[in-house]
Amino acid sequence: MSAPPDSAMGATGVRLTLRAPLDARVDASSLSPAALAGLRPAAVAALTLPWGAGIAPVGELFDVSASDGPGLVLSGDPRLDFVGAGLAEGEIIVEGPAGVCAGAGMSGGRLVIAGDAGDSLAAGMSGGRIEVAGRAGDGVGGARPGERQGMSGGTVAIAGSAGAGLGARLRGGLILVGGDVGPRAADGLVAGTLAVAGRLGPGAGRGMKRGTLILAAAADSLAPGFVDAGPQDFIMLQLLGRRVPELGALFGSRLTGRALRLVGNRLAGGEGEILVLQ
Amino acid sequence: MNAGTGSAAAPAAEPMILNGVEIRDSFAEAFPMAGTRLVITADTARWAHTAAASLTGFATSVIGCGCEAAIERELPAAETPDGRPGYAVLIFAMSLKDLKKVVPLRAGQCVLTSPTSACYSGLDGGAAIPLGRALRYFGDGHQISKNLGGRRIWRVPVMEGEFVCDEIVGSTTQAVGGGNFLILARSRPAALAAAEAAVEAMAKVPGAIMPFPGGVVRSGSKVGSKYAGLIASSNDAYCPTLRGVAASALPPEVESVLEIVIDGLTEADVAASMRAGITAVCGLGAATGVVAVDAGNYGGNLGPFHFKLRALMAPQADGGAR
Repeated sequence: MSAPPDSAMGATGVRLTLRAPLDARVDASSLSPAALAGLRPAAVAALTLPWGAGIAPVGELFDVSASDGPGLVLSGDPRLDFVGAGLAEGEIIVEGPAGVCAGAGMSGGRLVIAGDAGDSLAAGMSGGRIEVAGRAGDGVGGARPGERQGMSGGTVAIAGSAGAGLGARLRGGLILVGGDVGPRAADGLVAGTLAVAGRLGPGAGRGMKRGTLILAAAADSLAPGFVDAGPQDFIMLQLLGRRVPELGALFGSRLTGRALRLVGNRLAGGEGEILVLQ
Repeated sequence: MNAGTGSAAAPAAEPMILNGVEIRDSFAEAFPMAGTRLVITADTARWAHTAAASLTGFATSVIGCGCEAAIERELPAAETPDGRPGYAVLIFAMSLKDLKKVVPLRAGQCVLTSPTSACYSGLDGGAAIPLGRALRYFGDGHQISKNLGGRRIWRVPVMEGEFVCDEIVGSTTQAVGGGNFLILARSRPAALAAAEAAVEAMAKVPGAIMPFPGGVVRSGSKVGSKYAGLIASSNDAYCPTLRGVAASALPPEVESVLEIVIDGLTEADVAASMRAGITAVCGLGAATGVVAVDAGNYGGNLGPFHFKLRALMAPQADGGAR
């Protein structure tokens, strides 16, 4: 007769505490609340993860314990890759930094990263929510290898800055960045919304088809191909400020509805827009 | 589906007199409808009202207008999706198919065209009624959609700026149309004053509207006509000038009758509205010339909802009138 799962004893989540900083990259994509639900700590410890060029049992890398809270709580490490990749439901909290491809291909649930996130955060994401307390690397919301289009749905909120190529080939969803953004944002952007409270790096909007960038300040230098449609009082911004409270929180009193509208990228026949709040 | 048929209903044989006004032992016979609520906003309350009034114009009866619609209530800016002044309107049709036709048609002609307006869903759930999904094509390819906050909106470029609307609005097939009551009065001014008091009270009841002009009908109808092709004609039994010509339902002292028709999102909304209206009429009392309150029905064989007047107005167990 098998032992009852921990969930039957009151504990509903799992906590994984790193025994030591990782000395090789670990693929954590298999660690999801759904996969670990009902497993006793010993069973979780016996699971294996891709580690460097080989594999390692979870128990060799982490101390495994039951958690009173729901979902999965992980220690953070810059070499802990693919955290929350493919997450469809439930919650993962990373107590520190995460490696590359965190939340890649997510379709639901919530991923919280208390530190910085590596490159390709939310690549190919189609739903759910990611919150990053620190900075994010390059390629946020971009396409996964072998895919033509990037993030198509969900919300990514980055409190700090983001690297190059933010929202490249984005085709849906919302990405909010509290800090500055690196070069070449919105490259080939098809649809969706980027909101940047800091400064936008050079070369943004190359090949942009549709979609919206909302900026708190004018960009230093956009990719060529944008035309100035003039200022306007946008009811849509007033609406979004109320329906999406975090958008209102990101821009604060600057989100009055008035913005300068730049349309592009006309060199690519695109009709996307950059709204510079005024 | 017998609204108001509670255990406290008065026996049919005993008259019910409220402040000298007789509540006749009759009932309103009502029908199922499909309904929805739109929220219309604008830069000012004046222009929001203009758009709402335009959208709900010529919408007194499905018989000739295709739908029944009216303003439900004014909305303060804090209650609207975009933080501007607004109005909630209710629209009812005989089927979802009809509703899907009239909502985008009216919104397109009356709200999209109205200065500074925007149009949003005021009802969640049920079958999706197209709004921006249909109106977006006016943008001729320059329209923009945004799917944020759990809803898709459309931005349609117009000469004034942009028209913003939700892609769809929710709906209900639990709506009820045709709730009604008749005010029998000693004079035309007395009937009108009572009707105005009723409408004022009923306007405070959420989820229900009175679709006729000012909420009042002077030309209640009966089913059928002596003329082929007419499905409704003047309710001769309640026409004071036909006393002695047609079988009359009016006592000798009644010189004028006005009707109030109610549509609601639920059976309970219609019942609450009727109760509020009749209470207001009885509040004026016989001293103002009101003689009786009656209701229109078709013998109970056509509509599944029967709002019995005496049951509606029966005292509650706590002593208060519902």
